[in-house]
Amino acid sequence: MRKQYAWRSNALAGLLAFFAFAILAQIVRIQTSPEAAAFREQGMEYATELRTFYPDRGEIYDRDGHLLAGNRTVYEIGVNLKSMRDPGAIALAVSSQLGLDYNELLNQMTNPPQGLSYLVLANYVESDKALALQTLQQETQNQAASGTLGALTGLEFSSHPQRSYPENSLASNILGFVNREGRGYFGIEEKYNDLLAGNPIQVMVPTDPNKAVEIPHVPNGTTLVLTIHRDLQAAAEQILDKALTTYGAKGGTIIVMDPKTGELLAMAVTPRMNLNEFWNYGVVYDNASEFDQAVSVPYEPGSVMKVLTMAAALDSGTVNANTPFLDTGAIMVGGATIQNWDRQAWGPQDMVGCLQHSLNVCMAWLSTSMGAETFYGYMNRFGLGRLTGVDLAGEAAGRLKIPGDEDWYPVDLGTNSFGQGVAVTPIQMMMAASSIANDGRMVTPHVLYAMMREGHQYNVPAQYAGSPIQQTTARTLSEMLAISLEQESSLALVPGYRVAGKTGTAQIPTPEGYYDSTHTNASFIGWGPVDDPQFMIYVWLEQPSASIWGSETAAPVFSEMAQKTVILLDIPPDYIRQQIAAK
Amino acid sequence: MNLDTVTNLFDTYRMAPWRIQRQWIVNFLLAVVSLAMVAALYLDVTARAAIAGREIQNLTYQMAVVNQTNADLETRLASLTSASVMEQRAQSLGYRPLTTDEIEYLAVPGYVRSQPDILAATPQPGLSAPTIPPEYTQSLLEWFDLAFQSLGETQ
Repeated sequence: MRKQYAWRSNALAGLLAFFAFAILAQIVRIQTSPEAAAFREQGMEYATELRTFYPDRGEIYDRDGHLLAGNRTVYEIGVNLKSMRDPGAIALAVSSQLGLDYNELLNQMTNPPQGLSYLVLANYVESDKALALQTLQQETQNQAASGTLGALTGLEFSSHPQRSYPENSLASNILGFVNREGRGYFGIEEKYNDLLAGNPIQVMVPTDPNKAVEIPHVPNGTTLVLTIHRDLQAAAEQILDKALTTYGAKGGTIIVMDPKTGELLAMAVTPRMNLNEFWNYGVVYDNASEFDQAVSVPYEPGSVMKVLTMAAALDSGTVNANTPFLDTGAIMVGGATIQNWDRQAWGPQDMVGCLQHSLNVCMAWLSTSMGAETFYGYMNRFGLGRLTGVDLAGEAAGRLKIPGDEDWYPVDLGTNSFGQGVAVTPIQMMMAASSIANDGRMVTPHVLYAMMREGHQYNVPAQYAGSPIQQTTARTLSEMLAISLEQESSLALVPGYRVAGKTGTAQIPTPEGYYDSTHTNASFIGWGPVDDPQFMIYVWLEQPSASIWGSETAAPVFSEMAQKTVILLDIPPDYIRQQIAAK
Repeated sequence: MNLDTVTNLFDTYRMAPWRIQRQWIVNFLLAVVSLAMVAALYLDVTARAAIAGREIQNLTYQMAVVNQTNADLETRLASLTSASVMEQRAQSLGYRPLTTDEIEYLAVPGYVRSQPDILAATPQPGLSAPTIPPEYTQSLLEWFDLAFQSLGETQ
């Protein structure tokens, strides 16, 4: 009986063996067929994917470790059109949470562009709002009947980093901003964009989770520490804003710098913008140079320039502090008559008197006595007409006409000496004057104190931009300027501290080539304490209406700023310092 | 025992078909069990590797989330202690800005004016994973392939 059915078993075994062999043969045939290589290549394309790892953008701190620019998480909220159940409910939830238009949202979802499966409803949503929406979605899901989907099904959230400025508009001109594409504009964000952004790394990652790969370490962008003193910056901005109101000025700038190192401690300008709302840039500014006029807007500085003229005259040996000068109220230079600011003759003066009374005629006499070659040689060494190299984006070079230029005339030798016909930026004046406050050595102004990357900190050393004058000249001139302020009982004086400085009142040139007789630029440059300068302050008020004179507008602003500076920088009054030094 | 006896014994043995059949079955089962063991081992290793890969992905994601949270908290803290907020808080507590004539200075021997902070953290060793040996990344087939290749190269 068993033998009777044995053939069936054998036949079945043979058949199965045949199928097994056929399958094996087919496997071998496919593996060795001409198409196999193409299939393998096609498979390899899907076996890995090129993934780019972006580093977090470096942060920006002030000199005391206060965060000025950081990163925060924001959300993109969208809807998956294929899994969406109730567009009306989604539109209602999103519009109520994010303040968007309900009808517009509903229309977008019900009439999406053809072929679209995912629709972005809102981007750059704050985390608390996104969380509230997500909670609402969860609640609707919980309330839905068992086995059914919630009304907000299809709503999707994805996070991404965005630049954040905790101080809002504070130091906006120094920081600049980062747009939505991650590129820095203006200030530090633009100047050091590559350092801050870091280097993205691209890695081929297998899609098969079975294959473990080494996770690339992506170093974050370089973190920057600035020389800026946050509280001093805030004080400078407050003082500037108050000054604009008090003196009816159109705009203004206050810069505070350490004259020994070139570290910029504060740089306040108007207008400023909330960097967290950078899209309002076009509303706040008419053109790019307005973003930081301390470095981007050259202007005729007026009498503050006399400091440089006197420095050149003293250093070249043309005069000394006691050289007498008889002021007749007018001097002829290049066929044109130059007069004093009050069109009066001030009679016998010495060089201190020339500075104290800000005599144009005296300055023109000094520049013509030096000669064009010497005068412009010094102005060139002071860095006028050239970029200072300050590490902020958008610096302007200003203009110093020199003999040989098409638009230079002999009268310019006279007018340039008191700040007419020459255009400088406030930062250029700071750099030039730093040589007087710093024993003849001129410093390069800068805002970067240190860079940090991968746990290492690199401090940026002070850079010197030459020595345009001698140490003795610098000290003599500082003393002359301090005396002139004291004798004048200037509003720039700081109780308890001896300061040196000079006012400036400059007429504004019109496009027609004449000077506006009604508006002026009021300036003051000064430093202190005179025996050991630790701060240098530049004030520029644009077209003040309360008074056109720098001595009545910019000088008191300097005094107020200096008083705030000595408090915040812990600089004791002169008599305390002298007591300490005497011990 | 003569030669005939031995031949008879062999014939007797050969003539027991159930013995031959059992031998075949045992050999077949042995092969099946061996293959099953290799397959099970391979499946286990593959599953473990897949789980490890998925865990790595999860940990990487968690690291990114933690970093994001850190950055968020740092920014929020900076907002809460910003210059304008601190000034408002001070004023609400009844403080006002100092003036120069209200300050008393004391001479402290050895006092050094505060310098900018050193913010850099202590350098940490690299966080990238050490190089993973091939035993943890190769499949069995890849190992066979490599073994055959190296065998071919030595010959």
